[in-house]
Amino acid sequence: MTISQPRHIVCAVRGGIESRDTVTRAIDLALETGVGLTFFHVLDAEFLEYATIGPLSVVYQELTEMGKFAMMILRDRAQRRGVERVDYVVREGNIPKQLRLFAIETHADVMVMGRPATGESRNVFKENEFDQFTAELELQGGLKIIAVPE
Amino acid sequence: MRKSLSCIGLLAALVVAIALLLFFTWKAGQAQDSHPQPLIVGRVLDRQSQPVVGALVTVRASPEGEILEQGNTQADGRYAVAVPASIPERLTLIIERSHFKPGQVNLDAASIQKLRSGQSIIVPDLTLAHVINLAFWIATLIFCGVLVLIATGTLHNTLAALAGAALIFAFSYLGPIININFFIFTFPIGISYVDWNVIFLIMGMMIIIAVVERTGIFQWLAFTAHRLARGRIWLLMGILMVIAGVTSAFLDNVTTMLLMTPITIQISLALGINPLALLLPEVMASNVAGISTLIGTPTNILIGSYANISFNAFLVNQTPGVLLAMAGLIIYSEFIYRRERIAAREAGISDLLLEKLAERARITEPDHLRKAAVVGAGMLFLFIFGERIHLLPSVTALMGATALLIWIRPDIEEMIEAVDWTTLVFFIALFIVVGAIQEVGLISLIADAIGRVVGGNLLLAMLVVTWTSAVLSTVIANIPFTAAMLPVVGYLTLTVPGADTKVLFFCLSVGAALGGNGSLIGASANMVTSGISERAGYPITYMYFLKKGFPAMLLTVTLALIWLLLRFLVLGGSAG
Repeated sequence: MTISQPRHIVCAVRGGIESRDTVTRAIDLALETGVGLTFFHVLDAEFLEYATIGPLSVVYQELTEMGKFAMMILRDRAQRRGVERVDYVVREGNIPKQLRLFAIETHADVMVMGRPATGESRNVFKENEFDQFTAELELQGGLKIIAVPE
Repeated sequence: MRKSLSCIGLLAALVVAIALLLFFTWKAGQAQDSHPQPLIVGRVLDRQSQPVVGALVTVRASPEGEILEQGNTQADGRYAVAVPASIPERLTLIIERSHFKPGQVNLDAASIQKLRSGQSIIVPDLTLAHVINLAFWIATLIFCGVLVLIATGTLHNTLAALAGAALIFAFSYLGPIININFFIFTFPIGISYVDWNVIFLIMGMMIIIAVVERTGIFQWLAFTAHRLARGRIWLLMGILMVIAGVTSAFLDNVTTMLLMTPITIQISLALGINPLALLLPEVMASNVAGISTLIGTPTNILIGSYANISFNAFLVNQTPGVLLAMAGLIIYSEFIYRRERIAAREAGISDLLLEKLAERARITEPDHLRKAAVVGAGMLFLFIFGERIHLLPSVTALMGATALLIWIRPDIEEMIEAVDWTTLVFFIALFIVVGAIQEVGLISLIADAIGRVVGGNLLLAMLVVTWTSAVLSTVIANIPFTAAMLPVVGYLTLTVPGADTKVLFFCLSVGAALGGNGSLIGASANMVTSGISERAGYPITYMYFLKKGFPAMLLTVTLALIWLLLRFLVLGGSAG
């Protein structure tokens, strides 16, 4: 699929150093096309299963706030570079499932994501899983995925 | 009037009935005392001089002769067996217990004569040696399997321990159908290894934590640290480490890090500093300072309950070492993250982001916090002074938790959910698994080996216990490790001259907790901090943690050990 004139861009990121190039690419694209940009962050808290003490509701709330804060920084960055319509969304749950749902809900036609690097990568996806997932998402959601190497 | 008269009559009848009952009971006792049956009294110990409980003591006319009388050893390893009216020429005591070689005592003529004259006799202590059989290998394999499953994360901690306990009982009950040597222990004996003082202390503290965590105190404290530091990263780092340390001394350090990590990351991002430069020092401080009190770490709770070490004893014997280790850790952290501090100065501070943070960093439930503080102060008082009236810490924790729940009247179902039952089940199952290796003699074997290495040298024993615990705790979970080491350290405490001050238990406390700083998997607090940091896009890799944490572990263990050496070898301290 080629990008003609997109209507809405979604940038799915965690935030942090490894997301820097992905965010830059999404902002550049929003500036080029003049369309709205949404930063999308999914909170996956499976690791908490291994905590020995479980004040989980409070921790989930804190993690959500942390995600919102990280996305607020990205929104601030995009606005300072001149993107006019920019917002962010933070959700909790399984990352591939939430990405799929969000793409369909928002009718986004472009999604910018980080591609896992070769070797040791902290990306949610492994290299082979990533290609399969993005191919399926493009097919189901009718959108173009731009994968930026991390 | 008539009603009150009948009440008095009823009361008088009751008093007379009780008086008669007491009189006849006393008379019956007197009748028994006037013709006391002679007893054979003795004690059965294992090779570590620990009492052997539940051993069957049989009195026979000869080693293969008829059974004259039987009895069992009690919790202190003692037995008292009555002898029959007609005493034969020879008497032999046979002592049997599963997993031990049977013992035999032939009574001499003088003892038999004494018994015949109606006097009781005391038999010298008998030592039984463990036997290495099939059950020994099964229990050992199951214990190692549980450790591997926990270390590799193949199964959740609780599931791994539960699987181990279930397997032990399965072998004990189903195995003997094929071979009697599969038997490890019965269900009642397995349950007797569970330390309920530990379970109830942890449960009580979980309820207190569940109330405190909802008040926003952790977030407020972290943001206050930022305010106090006024943009000076070196000061912010120090204050955050002190907050994490002090909080961890009274509350669980996993909870402390679960709640402090998100706000610390946000402060770091607003200040333009790599969050890892604040998070690693924070989690390491949390692991170090937890050992200064009985309730600061699960390992201290285990040690305190097993060795009967009070809250005060931990405070007095560990706090100076912790302060020394904390000072070293702060200097070390400031040094290793000096580049990040410079980078932060160049990046500058985002006032807009800090304003947003300030909006959230407030006490959300001040009334609950005030009440929790009052109850907490009361509990602290009882932890410190309760030992004078033999008040167990678990009772104090339960009383405090209940008082707080009654006072604030929260949604009780929400509070019950806040108690981490999986952790409590983990401890119960773990006690059973460790009980199994104790039962079959693995612990005795290890204790013997360490005992031979250290001989009677207390200094060597302190070094071995501390460094073995520290190094092993970097690779295996410190809770099962500590639970397994307790009887070993107990044996060394009995056999090494000068160790009766319980110093070796403090060494175990230092090694097991501070060893957790040596690697990412060394402590649960490290794992949750890493998990949250990774979700924010700042992963803490195993190698990164090892590089920063291992030298910190060496430094802090050395400093804490220096204090223990000074306290117990030079100043002649005691745990009393």
